[in-house]
Amino acid sequence: MRRCTECAVRIEGNWSRCPLCGSHLVGHPSPDPLPSVPLRFSRRRLLRILTVISLVLVALSFVVQLWLGHRPSEFGAVRSVWLGVCTMWLVALMALRGRRDLARSTLTLLVLAALVCTYWDYLTGWHRWSLTFAVPIMCGCAIIALVILEHVMRLEVGEHALYSALTVLLGIVPILFLLLGWVTTPVPSAICVVLALLSLALLQLERAADVRDELAKKLHV
Amino acid sequence: MTRRTWVRLDNASNIFLAARTESDTKVFRLSAEMDAEVDPGMLQEALDAVFARYPLYRAVLRRGVFWYYLQDSDLRPVVEPERRPTCAAIYQDGRRTLLFRVIHHRRRISLEVFHALSDGTGAMWFLSDLLVEYARRRYPAGATDESGRPGEQGDPSASLAADDAASPDTPDAAAEGAAPPSHALETDSFAHYFRRRRPTAFQEAFAEAAAPAALTLAEKAVRAEASADGDTAGASRTPSDADPDRPSRRARIHRVRGTRTPDGRTRAVELTMPASQLLAASKASGASPTMYLTALFMDAVRESSGGLGGARTMSASVPVNLRQFFPSTSARNFFATIRVEHAFSPDGAEAPEEVARALEAEFRPQASAAALAPKVARFIRVERSPLLRIVPRPLKDLILGWLNAASNRKLSLAVSNLGRLRLPEPAASHVRRVLFQVSAARPQFCAISHGDQMTVTFTSPFTQTGHVRAFARSLSARGIDVSVTAARVTEAELEEVAP
Ligand SMILES: [Zn+2]
Repeated sequence: MRRCTECAVRIEGNWSRCPLCGSHLVGHPSPDPLPSVPLRFSRRRLLRILTVISLVLVALSFVVQLWLGHRPSEFGAVRSVWLGVCTMWLVALMALRGRRDLARSTLTLLVLAALVCTYWDYLTGWHRWSLTFAVPIMCGCAIIALVILEHVMRLEVGEHALYSALTVLLGIVPILFLLLGWVTTPVPSAICVVLALLSLALLQLERAADVRDELAKKLHV
Repeated sequence: MTRRTWVRLDNASNIFLAARTESDTKVFRLSAEMDAEVDPGMLQEALDAVFARYPLYRAVLRRGVFWYYLQDSDLRPVVEPERRPTCAAIYQDGRRTLLFRVIHHRRRISLEVFHALSDGTGAMWFLSDLLVEYARRRYPAGATDESGRPGEQGDPSASLAADDAASPDTPDAAAEGAAPPSHALETDSFAHYFRRRRPTAFQEAFAEAAAPAALTLAEKAVRAEASADGDTAGASRTPSDADPDRPSRRARIHRVRGTRTPDGRTRAVELTMPASQLLAASKASGASPTMYLTALFMDAVRESSGGLGGARTMSASVPVNLRQFFPSTSARNFFATIRVEHAFSPDGAEAPEEVARALEAEFRPQASAAALAPKVARFIRVERSPLLRIVPRPLKDLILGWLNAASNRKLSLAVSNLGRLRLPEPAASHVRRVLFQVSAARPQFCAISHGDQMTVTFTSPFTQTGHVRAFARSLSARGIDVSVTAARVTEAELEEVAP
């Protein structure tokens, strides 16, 4: 074992200089009991900063749209493309973040996409294509996807059941669009609501206890 | 599919989630250095055997609206070679991973634990059992003791008894010989009870093992109160229930600054010394080993900082294992911290021995059941306060984070002494020394001893080792035989060994 005469201590490992004072050591090196771990710089922190910056930029650019005029004549191709790019970016970020939990990320994506579509529709003169087509179709697809996922992948109950339940509940919302006459044709909303009610019945049969259990856990005071 | 057992995370553990940062991961490490290279296959077998007996260690951390909670899982731990810096992060938001890891390098077996799961004492039980299982497999000749069943390796109080329970400050883990109740489970309980639809005995064991120590204690206290009308309530209003932070003295607390390590890892330097030599030196000074080491530490910081400058008061936080005062078998966090401080005179003429005596006089009255009872009572009161319950979890994290930062500003150092680890055979004769270290927000040391080997591991977020040098030199100047192990952290240090 090596020795630092300045500090009067033995030094384990293959240090050529004393790790405490930097003086030269005497004696023979011993095997290092600790590994030398190479430096690793955290890419995660950089990624987190970039994510936050891009989210802020997207939110700002969405707000700016409100001041740029709402009529279809004022809503040019550039703005459409810009909104499209922003939306894709948001969707990609959310999908990346939630890739470990399918039901939860499905729900987030659904809410996000529904809000953006409605806003887009509003900006371009409120033709109600969002509420008539986009939102019910997306809800319906999400419900079908979750039902399939659940039966194919045999996911563990728990959080998954909770988020599926929330998605299904969201699928019933288009009934409001129908009742309040916000749609130009009732077919998509009607289909979506029927799908949601059917899967709610299925869920009630299979998973009600799990959902209650999970809710109790999440909301435990 | 089973419905998972879960237990809400208590406040003592919550603080570790709120206070965790990229460089201070709130992970601690207990290592044992064996007398020969570690065999990973046998270590894995040993881990499997021990894991089945510790339901708490199956837990993953999940987030609810109001609380974090620990939930039972099917995950199995896998031993891995040491590839990360010491005390690397274990829990990452939202990821369901086990809250501990077992790693090995050359002769060392290390157990790293996220502090929200367990405290040093709880982890000592686990490591001790792991070492016994490993030694049984590695040295089969020694595995012929009477009670051959691994689930019941003798009397835990004999295996982990504290050496000098006389000194109240060494929070010797197992002073009370308390072991997790899961010890009593049959070895095959994992296979036997697991994956049943009804709440199984295993799930019940998990819930029991994962219950916060303070609360299980509180329930006991309530029961005792009912039978012995208000004895505990009386105890919690002793005159010593003064504000522990003593805001009376408005001295400026010295805070150690330095250069952060390049990738935020913890800088760890281990000093190994004969326990007998250190005990003799501390006895001669008239202070307990912990306070003696703390005094040397404060003096070392004073010296390496070039005389402290304007802020001449140094304070240290010292965790005290509550199990020695309030018997509890929980492996969860169950400690209180005591704060001691010392104002150095401008001429710097005090010997560390004098400082040690002064610290001892400050520490000893605080480290008693009567003085700590109000603290425990306060923990429990806060835990159960209806106002706190309805605060959403992210907000709780924020508040706890602020509180923690505020108390950090009043601390220069932290020290922790786990006392003596008494390993049962066949582990004891094959373990050369044990080590203990914690990720650090400030210079800190953790001490533990085994046989006659005492290790004091300094950790710090900074690259500077001036205080360790001063500490090591003052030990060697007192005739104590010190050997130093350091991990390389700076670019220059790592370049030396780069292939
Ligand atoms: Zn030296």
